[in-house]
Amino acid sequence: MNERSIVDPRERLIFAMGGGGFTMEPANPLLDDFVLSLADTREPRILFLPTASGDTTSQINAFKARFAERACIPEHLSLFHLRDSTRSLADTVLIQDIIYVGGGSMRNLLALWRAHGLDSLLVQAWQSGTVLAGLSAGAMCWLQGGVTRSSGPPEAIAGLGILEGSLTVHADGEPERLPMWLARVRDGTLPGGWALDDGVGLLFRGEHPDRAVSSRPGAGAQRVDAIEGELVRKRVDVELLGEGPRAALGGFDEAVEELRRVHRMRRGSSRGR
Amino acid sequence: MPNRAPQIVALGGGGFSMEKDGSLLDDYVLSLTGACRFGNASEAGVSPSGRPRVCFLPTASGDADHYVVRFYRRFSPDCDASHVSLFRRDQGTGGVEDDLASHLLAQDLIYVGGGNVLSMLGAWRAHGLDAILRRAWRRGIVLCGPSAGSLCWFEQALSAFHGAPRVVRGLGFLPYSNCVHYDAEPARRAEYHRFVADGMRAGFAVEDGVALHFRGTQLERAVSSRPDGRAFLVEPCQQGVRETRLEVTHLGSEMPDVDAYAGLERAKREAVPA
Repeated sequence: MNERSIVDPRERLIFAMGGGGFTMEPANPLLDDFVLSLADTREPRILFLPTASGDTTSQINAFKARFAERACIPEHLSLFHLRDSTRSLADTVLIQDIIYVGGGSMRNLLALWRAHGLDSLLVQAWQSGTVLAGLSAGAMCWLQGGVTRSSGPPEAIAGLGILEGSLTVHADGEPERLPMWLARVRDGTLPGGWALDDGVGLLFRGEHPDRAVSSRPGAGAQRVDAIEGELVRKRVDVELLGEGPRAALGGFDEAVEELRRVHRMRRGSSRGR
Repeated sequence: MPNRAPQIVALGGGGFSMEKDGSLLDDYVLSLTGACRFGNASEAGVSPSGRPRVCFLPTASGDADHYVVRFYRRFSPDCDASHVSLFRRDQGTGGVEDDLASHLLAQDLIYVGGGNVLSMLGAWRAHGLDAILRRAWRRGIVLCGPSAGSLCWFEQALSAFHGAPRVVRGLGFLPYSNCVHYDAEPARRAEYHRFVADGMRAGFAVEDGVALHFRGTQLERAVSSRPDGRAFLVEPCQQGVRETRLEVTHLGSEMPDVDAYAGLERAKREAVPA
């Protein structure tokens, strides 16, 4: 595990989705395949955390349906059914290449992680090179804050704060969230950040956004900051997955392999080797 | 408000979720709400229908649907039954859509389901349920539950849900420790003894099918749905720990007689050091 013990802070990856993936787009694997492509290994170990939903069977089954036949080693961790597991949480979390967090109640998600000490394990995993991914509550949790409907009406909520800024999700799919988020950014309750439509994922490399990708044509993202009490909104360019030269490569595995090679090259050159 | 004493019924295991004929322990718990059923019906906390208001908290199971269904199957024929899901509040399917506090404080009985006590306490604290339940308890709303639904009321709980057993800080309404499913796993007793000998506070070990009924913080009575159900007081002493078997009333053969059981104090007086 020595090679995983430390990773250049500028190369740590977090992929935050405004919505989408296997729980929301069962017929559209583009975002989930992109998640797999982020790992540096041919057959990544991917752990699903359905905590925010209360570990519902439907989320776990959707995860299995998506990843069982793909080039990866999938498993899930349920904090409500730990009795079935003989491994410690640390042994389960710290061996993964990818950790994928589902949506649901962000308040419960953070409370349960803290109750079990999972929050610090996840930070440790990220620092040692595990890709952290997730949608909705599972995306906002990595930032300083977001907008949750954990108690019904939308309200601001603090996240783990691994990444600076705030995030709001389902910007198109749940229109009541966005105005709440904008108001909280304007009044300074939340720091400036990103609003993501369903189907859009923002990839953070180190602590900065690297690229935005989408599984749906027309889905968008914006960066919003409050400057002297006024909101400054800037559109973020979003690449539509499944189109362009990569999609023309033919077989999926070849496409993924190609993508990984590109990633490795990029990383190599950015380190100046 | 009627002057009702705080009451907790802590099940070592059993009730509708675990026993096929789990109605005995549940019936016992329901009987404790009788004072409100026949009290002043205009008071808050009494259903206009005269039926006990019972709310289920399935948090420890992750609000598992099958558990919620079994609760309604058991309680909705005789009670005004409801449940609170802390995971579905955004979808309006949390069982209760209005203010959590006002709903819970209007109950006669709050029934807490089993599962993972750490997860449950974490979620409760995040939603402020710990403070609401303390108010409910002080108001005399009966609190009960098996397993995690027992452990949570105590100051310290022995949780063996996952991996090595550990001490979990509960809500602390009852100033004791608690160990449930005392007969279910061979190692459980030795672990509890070890923890109490090492400084965990004195408390109660309870087998499946047995329930401890506390009035205020005093043990009022131990009851069982099984003829051979046992419960113990476990205290530290110079030799390590002292385990004292409590008198348990079998609900299947007789209804409990309040005078026949003098509770914890008598058990302590009669205790013979091991």
